[in-house]
Amino acid sequence: MSVRWSDTAAAFRRMALLVVGVLAWETAARSGLFSPLIVPSVTRIGYQLWLLATQPDSIVEACYSLARALGGFALAAVVGVALGVLMGRSAPVAAALGPFFSGTYPVPKIALFPIFIYLFGIGSLSKVLLIFLECLYPIVITTQAGGRAVNRVLVWSAANMGASRARILRSIVVPATAPFIFAGFRIALPIAMIVVIITEMISSADGLGYLAMYALASFKTDRMLAIVVVIALIGIALDRLVVHLRDRLVFWERLDSYYAE
Amino acid sequence: MSRESVERLAAPSLLIAVLVIWQIATAFAHPDFILSPWEIARHVVEALWSGELLPHVGASLARSLPGFVFGSLIGVVLGLLAGVARSLDQLLSPVVFLTYPVPKIVFLPIVMLWVGIGDVSKIAVIALACFYPCFINAYYGARGTSTIMVWSGLNMGARPSQTFRKIVIPSALPLVFAGLRVSLALSFILLFSTEMINARSGLGFLIRQSESSLRFDLMYVAIVAVAALGYAGDQLLLLVRRYVLAWQEAIR
Repeated sequence: MSVRWSDTAAAFRRMALLVVGVLAWETAARSGLFSPLIVPSVTRIGYQLWLLATQPDSIVEACYSLARALGGFALAAVVGVALGVLMGRSAPVAAALGPFFSGTYPVPKIALFPIFIYLFGIGSLSKVLLIFLECLYPIVITTQAGGRAVNRVLVWSAANMGASRARILRSIVVPATAPFIFAGFRIALPIAMIVVIITEMISSADGLGYLAMYALASFKTDRMLAIVVVIALIGIALDRLVVHLRDRLVFWERLDSYYAE
Repeated sequence: MSRESVERLAAPSLLIAVLVIWQIATAFAHPDFILSPWEIARHVVEALWSGELLPHVGASLARSLPGFVFGSLIGVVLGLLAGVARSLDQLLSPVVFLTYPVPKIVFLPIVMLWVGIGDVSKIAVIALACFYPCFINAYYGARGTSTIMVWSGLNMGARPSQTFRKIVIPSALPLVFAGLRVSLALSFILLFSTEMINARSGLGFLIRQSESSLRFDLMYVAIVAVAALGYAGDQLLLLVRRYVLAWQEAIR
């Protein structure tokens, strides 16, 4: 019993800032100093959250956003890992494509969105392709770094024992690169969420980004904040999912950076 | 030709090939919204002279630079402190790491409601987004400081403040710069998206406005300017890093 109590206390201490923030918010909302349009109380946000979670319409909107984000991300994962491994293992390919990727990396690809709308229509395709483009860079760059860092003694031993190139790629290069690939995924997934929300805010008639802007335009602040909470929870859940997958698939290496706790 | 010269020529020849194919393809038939590289270059020069571009560049920089500076400064300072002070670490880190994967752009509507639709809301959201990569990298940089160095410093009579300044900060600097680089790229992404969502000036606004008024020449000019700004900012940061971290290169 005492152990469980200290666990609760530790969990509370970790989230102290969050709890204090919510309490301060609620105090500000109930003090009457601010209009509920500007600072709606936590209970009202909670009620809107309940509505969002129970209304089929809003779940459909969330699915739109999720499908776009994951679609673009999956495309970027497949292409990015393939390109990254290729660039990491082959000097001519790295020489040809490396400067292109490092040169255009700091360029915000979101600026291409209007052209994408003209090319691929105002629907989901332009958004998915923009997400693909933004996610591609971190995945390619981290995978390439991983491909380069493969222990060459392992490759030599395998080649010496008669492994084919395909076998070396499958059994040595890909597993050795896996930690880097997941590091890239972890950078890319929040970017996919950012881009899907932005593109839906700019031009869309569906998705959570659109829903948030719509709630703001109709001065339903409590509803908008509930949507913000939903988007935040999706972001956190997706990140946890990647970490979980990583721990299952790359079980031989401990996750050190970016919150192992 | 030797292997090195082939590799050195690979990237430029790929770039030239893409541009030539693009130019030739547009020479035959192309929709209005695709311009040839040559036309884009001509329009960029024209817009630079006519003064259609520079005011928007100024407006964009006036938003992104304060956001980047505030956000990354607070992020680096708090990250370094959380890396060395356990109480601050316990207070800040769980919340920062929990909210890290939240797309910060969702706070734009709330901030707009609080501080208005003007520049302050954009600067605040950019600062918020820039805070996270800087905090996390500075945090791990400070935590990664070699314990033996800290012990040696303390053993030779250094005060805690001296240890922080002369040992912790230098050894965290490489990661701090990595964080700054990520933040800078993020600040540009957020700048253009906030300007596309609502603004009356700036490059994001210029892209939106010229797109909806079918001024595709101006749209391409703005996109080229966005790309150039992002690239120039990154190169500038790398230059500063090379200067500040000259000692690290020397060790290597």
